[in-house]
Amino acid sequence: MLKLLRSKFLWLILLILLSAVGLMIFGASGYTEGKNFGPLQVVYAPLHRAVSGITNGFSNFSSIFSNKKALQAQVAQMQQQLDALQMENQSLKEYQSEAGRLQKLLAFRDTNIGTMKLLAAHVIARSPNNWYKNVSIDRGSQDGVTKGMPIICPEGLIGRVTYVTAHSAQVTLITDREIAVGAILEKDRETGGIVEGFGNNTELRMQNIPFYSKIQVYDTVVTSDLSQTYPKGIPIGTVTEVVKEPGGLLLKASLKPAVDFDRLEEVLVIMSYNPQQVPQQEVKR
Amino acid sequence: MRWLLHILLPILAIFLQSTFFSSYSIKGAVPDLLLILVIFFSLLGPRKQAPLYGFCCGLFEDLYMGRFIGLNAISKAITAFLLSHLQENVFKENILVGMTAVFIGTVLNSGLVLLLSLFKFKGIHWDDSVFMTIIFQTLYNALLSGPLYIWYYNSSHYGVLRDPEVR
Repeated sequence: MLKLLRSKFLWLILLILLSAVGLMIFGASGYTEGKNFGPLQVVYAPLHRAVSGITNGFSNFSSIFSNKKALQAQVAQMQQQLDALQMENQSLKEYQSEAGRLQKLLAFRDTNIGTMKLLAAHVIARSPNNWYKNVSIDRGSQDGVTKGMPIICPEGLIGRVTYVTAHSAQVTLITDREIAVGAILEKDRETGGIVEGFGNNTELRMQNIPFYSKIQVYDTVVTSDLSQTYPKGIPIGTVTEVVKEPGGLLLKASLKPAVDFDRLEEVLVIMSYNPQQVPQQEVKR
Repeated sequence: MRWLLHILLPILAIFLQSTFFSSYSIKGAVPDLLLILVIFFSLLGPRKQAPLYGFCCGLFEDLYMGRFIGLNAISKAITAFLLSHLQENVFKENILVGMTAVFIGTVLNSGLVLLLSLFKFKGIHWDDSVFMTIIFQTLYNALLSGPLYIWYYNSSHYGVLRDPEVR
């Protein structure tokens, strides 16, 4: 027994056990909670990080192979969704644009409800050759459209109906060579002239302007009350250039049309109007 | 079947010109597919029938437009008549021949339209826009005629437009 008590190994074991028990009691008492054991963590942290990085990397690398098919399917599905959403987005943009234009038409119609009876129509076709400037609309005699009716849009004058079928009508634009419109300057409403098209959708000519006219560049030209076809006061275009005619007694002007004829999509047919009243241009552009 | 297609093609051409191509105009110029068809017919079809085909296609366009009936009928008939004389003097297998014929034919036809318009209008404004329209239409036509010529040539030699009596 004494021999056993003299054994250093036994005392070492006991010391370790006692230390362990002591540490357990010490730890259980809550004293160590929140205490900083920094030095050990400083030593271990890089190792932990390295091992963690390697294992995570390997795990990700292996998951690429194990999930390849699933990922491919997911990518294909997302691509399909993206395509569908892009198409939907495009369609919504188109609707938004159309809604904006229709809102403008509606506002214009409401503003002029007392002076004009208007019918909205869609442009369904354009002239198939370069020498005539006309468009076809989806309203015809069954909607009450007749030959000679003026066609406008909130921006200004477009032309007049020259041919009617039951469900469609041909509209000759004011840029056509066969159309002439009596016009005046919006600012003084005195200077008269005749606006003629010459087959160019981006330019009009105003002829027979008296030499004493105060017409200037940027003046707005509107329809005059001399015309039997068009209501007065509808914008035709803006003056871009004024020159003297060869005789010197008259002036002629180049106009930029108020309407973009290459982008016409919706128009208004003037079914009837009160010639005494000027249409209102209160639509905000 | 061959003649049915010769009737249907101008109808399709007018439809495409007034809808699809009018939205893709270059500087306001739309291609004249009907004229391209007439020029191809003049080069590859029966020579003596070319002016008649040009006249009918032009008349169809005039009736569709409903204005100045005869303008396009005469201009396309004369264009077809003049170009049909090239038939035996050119190497028709070359696509460039087709494109060049369309180029020349468009300039010729535009000149005739302007000339004939003098009967209707008191005066034509000979300004840049008229010439620019002719230039852009000519280039547009010539550009489109490349692929169309390949199809038309193959059809008239080996396909639906082939004349069984001639070949």
